[in-house]
Amino acid sequence: MSSISGGFLPVRIKVKNAETGASVEMELEMENTIDEVIESAATFWSKDMGAYVLRKGKKVLRGGNSLKDAGLRADDVLELIPDPEGG
Amino acid sequence: MDLVSISGAKVLMIGAGALGNEVAKDLVLSGFRKVTIVDMDHVVGSNLNRCLFFSREDARQGRKKAEVVAEGMRVLSADARPRPITGRVQDQPGRLFSDHDIVLGCLDNIEARIHANAHSYSTGKVYIDGGMDGMLGKVMVARPPKGACLQCGMNRTHAKIASMRFSCTGRDVVFHEPKLAAEITTTSIVSAVMVREALKAVSGHPEMLLNNAFYYDGRRNLSEEMEIPLDPECPVHPRGRGATGKRKRFKST
Repeated sequence: MSSISGGFLPVRIKVKNAETGASVEMELEMENTIDEVIESAATFWSKDMGAYVLRKGKKVLRGGNSLKDAGLRADDVLELIPDPEGG
Repeated sequence: MDLVSISGAKVLMIGAGALGNEVAKDLVLSGFRKVTIVDMDHVVGSNLNRCLFFSREDARQGRKKAEVVAEGMRVLSADARPRPITGRVQDQPGRLFSDHDIVLGCLDNIEARIHANAHSYSTGKVYIDGGMDGMLGKVMVARPPKGACLQCGMNRTHAKIASMRFSCTGRDVVFHEPKLAAEITTTSIVSAVMVREALKAVSGHPEMLLNNAFYYDGRRNLSEEMEIPLDPECPVHPRGRGATGKRKRFKST
């Protein structure tokens, strides 16, 4: 998703797909946002159009936050889960 | 549980699809009596395999869902006093929320959810939102004036699909997405958790309420509570703006 540029050091974050158990390692900058990670992971796995959230442990991460704001570190493991909207 | 409070509580239930049918059943069998049901749709044939109160005759006549669910509640309890309203929740007068004690969202689209969440929060009413997709389910409890609301947990993917409907007959036909109908066992679990939370809230036990969200994954036999932090940039909360001065791009209507 990103590389070394603009003086930012990349970090590797693992994102797991809650629906399949698959995982992907992403190289990101701490300035990347959670929204960007969600969209990149959803695109990578060709997810249906829908709502998704990213969580670390029990905590849902805020979309507008940067990785830095979210307190993420290299080698953190996140999980992409669908946010069911049907009724 | 405080049965007097439960029977006297004024409940606003928004949505009378698959989830609304189950929630209505659980409400009336749990002792709730005064339930206002808001739904804009009529019954169609594809609703029948997952909606307790709907019949083939209702579908043939194209009867209004809110009215059919209200009738069904009266059959289950002669004491029930359901009040059906046919129309979009966004088109109802603002006092609809302030006139009730608690709000249950059984909706199929994000726009209506955002509306219900924002109006519940601003009028100080506990909002319990249920959502499903196949074997996945979620219940979120917003407890004003403190804590996160439904919109705090939303991100850009929600904004992109805010106007789409994920009805109990499948995903939005306008977008020709693959159909994935409501799955009744998931619906039962989600509705049961919603009504259980309503029972606690109305009985005066806020300390027993879910903190944020309950997530259920029937494929993995997994259920757990998840934390949704309050978003200082969420427009629903009194300050409405965070340190960055930015607002979320979608607002209640």
